[in-house]
Amino acid sequence: MSAKTKAAAPGQKTPLAAKIFLALVALYLLIPFATTLIYSLFIEWTDVLPSGFTLRNYAELFGNMTFWASIGRTLVLCLVSVVITIALLLLAMYVVVAVNRRLGRFMQFVCMIPYALQGVILSIGIISLYTGTGTVLSNRMMMLFGAYTILVLPYIYQGIRNALNAIDAQMLIQAAEMLGCGRFRAYVQVVLPNILSGILVSSLLAESIVFGDFVLANNIAGTNYQNIQVFLQANMARSSGLSSAIVVVIFLVVGAVTAAVLKLQQSSARKA
Amino acid sequence: MSYIEFNNVVKRFGDNTVLDHISFGIEKGDLVTLLGPSGCGKSTLLRCLSGLERVTEGTIVLNGRDITNVPASKRNIGMVFQQYSLFPNMTVEQNVAFGLKMQKAPADEIENKVKEAIAMVELTGKEKAYPASLSGGQQQRAALARSIVTEPDVLLLDEPLSAIDAKLRKALQSRIREINQELGLTSIFVTHDQDEAMVMSDVIQLFHNGRIEQAGSPVEVYTRPVSEFAASFIGSYNLLSADEFGRLTGDRVASGNVVAIRPETVGISAERPAGEEAYVLEARVKSSTPRGNVLRYEVVANGIQLRVDTLFRSFHLFDDGAHVFIELPRHACLQIPVGVARAA
Amino acid sequence: MAVSVETQAPAVSSASAAGAVAAAPVAGAQTGSEPAAAERAKRPQKRRGWTGYLPFLPFLAVVIGYELLPLAQLVGNAFIGKESEAFGLENFIKVFTTPLYQQSIVNSLWISVVSALVGIVVAFLAARFAYESSPRVRNAFTLVLNMMSNFSGVPLAFAFMILMGNSGVLTLLGQQWGIPFLADFDLYTGEGLLVLYIYFQIPLATLLLLPAFSGIKKEWREAATILKATTFDYWFKIVIPNLMPSILGTLSVLFSNALAAYATAYAVVMNNYALLPLQITSKFKGDVQIDNATGGALAVVLILLMVACTLINNYFTKRASKGREIV
Repeated sequence: MSAKTKAAAPGQKTPLAAKIFLALVALYLLIPFATTLIYSLFIEWTDVLPSGFTLRNYAELFGNMTFWASIGRTLVLCLVSVVITIALLLLAMYVVVAVNRRLGRFMQFVCMIPYALQGVILSIGIISLYTGTGTVLSNRMMMLFGAYTILVLPYIYQGIRNALNAIDAQMLIQAAEMLGCGRFRAYVQVVLPNILSGILVSSLLAESIVFGDFVLANNIAGTNYQNIQVFLQANMARSSGLSSAIVVVIFLVVGAVTAAVLKLQQSSARKA
Repeated sequence: MSYIEFNNVVKRFGDNTVLDHISFGIEKGDLVTLLGPSGCGKSTLLRCLSGLERVTEGTIVLNGRDITNVPASKRNIGMVFQQYSLFPNMTVEQNVAFGLKMQKAPADEIENKVKEAIAMVELTGKEKAYPASLSGGQQQRAALARSIVTEPDVLLLDEPLSAIDAKLRKALQSRIREINQELGLTSIFVTHDQDEAMVMSDVIQLFHNGRIEQAGSPVEVYTRPVSEFAASFIGSYNLLSADEFGRLTGDRVASGNVVAIRPETVGISAERPAGEEAYVLEARVKSSTPRGNVLRYEVVANGIQLRVDTLFRSFHLFDDGAHVFIELPRHACLQIPVGVARAA
Repeated sequence: MAVSVETQAPAVSSASAAGAVAAAPVAGAQTGSEPAAAERAKRPQKRRGWTGYLPFLPFLAVVIGYELLPLAQLVGNAFIGKESEAFGLENFIKVFTTPLYQQSIVNSLWISVVSALVGIVVAFLAARFAYESSPRVRNAFTLVLNMMSNFSGVPLAFAFMILMGNSGVLTLLGQQWGIPFLADFDLYTGEGLLVLYIYFQIPLATLLLLPAFSGIKKEWREAATILKATTFDYWFKIVIPNLMPSILGTLSVLFSNALAAYATAYAVVMNNYALLPLQITSKFKGDVQIDNATGGALAVVLILLMVACTLINNYFTKRASKGREIV
């Protein structure tokens, strides 16, 4: 994002009005989180200043096995569903690149539908189709993995497609073919190593989306398979101290992933 | 039986016929150029031979073996592409070794052959370099090494030099020609550049609208175009309709024909030349343009404008408007049937 | 060296007399109509095997199973009447005549439109100022936007609760200091939700608009000044018209973003406020009887709104990129 916006030159002074306005917006955006952070670190906050610095909310949170269980589930959901999506798309894109280009349009269409569906429609569609069918498909975990796979489809698809376009995958496969290498082997040996770094950014983005999801987890699994967001929601009414610590943890994790994405994007923009 | 044979090869993309019953043969060790404007089907034919494209009809035989339905990876054909096609994640050395590894050659053999091939394309010292750090010319050299190291039956070159600047292109042209001759490696070169075709080839196959317009040695194709298209694509022939030729010389040719006259066959002089077996005509110089070592005059004779090329020597320069005599040797007036330009 | 072609390479006689040059053979290098060749040519082409398509199947299976089928059955349910069990528009008629559902649609549209409009105005100003700032300020601001654009859903709802909820920090301060706006602020209403929605629209909108500003050329301002345009003219006759495709495209993204938002609203008001996503979900899940028919119809309404937004956005994205090419 930042690489694209080259306007004012490095030495240029920032106008005062701009400084004030941007500071106000930044402040507005930061206040809710800052409040939560302070709230989580103090015993009481009924006056202008909070009182009684404490880490007890965090101690309580990190001693809570349910918390760790929900973190564990969330990580499993993140990793498994993103890996599944990457694997499905890499296989499917092989067919588009090496066998039949015309499937590309279909893929693009199908991969963009989730943008318009968003979590609500996706989750209720899946539960109303599979709940109570009494098959392995009615397993909540199955439904949840399926739903996440679809949810992150647009992001990972775009990442893979851009990476493939950037290296002219079709040409590389043809070159390898002329050297006695089968198409699929060429895809694995020549194309994949060259697109992995390109996929990384979109995968991280997808991870942060799954990590931040509440709708799918709540609608499909609910309390049966609590992820971190559902855990937060369940604790909100019970203990605001604990909940504020959860919010801080969630924010820090997602923030770290975002920072990694930005870092990767910047370094690739510099290379280009 | 030629080394490579195309038998009635047809290629269609949907309703679009790109190759229309192509049949010809290529002899072992020759460097054959497929020449033609873009979209004429020359690259498609090359890709059909490589196996990257499948023919719609017809057969392709390589060294006595029908390879029409053999997958590209099993044809033992080397190919250099127009775009830079080196594998970006591998060094020059690894790129060149790739094909040998596919053949499961022993390690020491790979090492020797790779070294040899890299030396042959004059890239020694760049073995450990990644493609991104190489110039366009170096990348194509590496691609060339990669495609010859496996000792293919044929080497295909699909406009490999089109993205390279003129000076380096000349050097690579002769390098490719030398490799073709040193290794006796049958090579097929696709280009739209007639000069490149002239310099490199044993045989030129001139393509037009999915068919072969003319085939022959560079000299044959250059001096004896068989069609209006060939004459207009190669050299810078003066093309006159039967009517125009009649007005110019007073002689009649069959009305369906055109007459092609190469500019350098026309003599130009201040004095009336003897002109045996030639038309001698009075003309007026309209303009002159120096083109390197050639001086091109535009002259008008009997109301017909002609291009006349002379060697650019300091004497015998005619000013614009000068009265001159031009001499058209009769044998240089090539009569070509118009209808040869086939259904587009 | 030889050319082996089926017909002789054509030659033009050079010795013949003037004008009467021997006609060159009309045929080109190939005619190729010998019967054997034709026979061979007719051989049907062996097709590349279907095995090449195998890697596509897992993707296809998952997409059908978890995207297309659920969607299809959702839409299908919507058209099968809840009472009559017949194919028709019964459910839709019910949706558009029941006050609760009407209210949900109206509330959803209202909160989406207002939050999108407020968001775009703030974002426009922010992007404009960021564009005029030094790279250091701009990068810092962009970092804040990127970080805070992730602060949404349940965590955001929680943060606003401790800030402006019934016993929120600002609410208490407002009571102590006698600021009625803060003291009487009720987060658990439509207006309360609106504040939340506006909050998450701003970073998204600004991130989407920033790249558009980089398409504005410094020369435009100079040219405008030379032509005696005022600052007002410059902004309203040059900059904004040029940014219009990006602005409208961003608006449609914001609108659909708010329309489909669920977690934030659910965390604040549970199902106690009439919003489309909340109503849809409650029909499929929860305490009351599951009602596929009405839920399906509501879902179709939401889908149609979302699809319209996507189409509008695609249209403007194309226009925006085209515009930039011309510039």
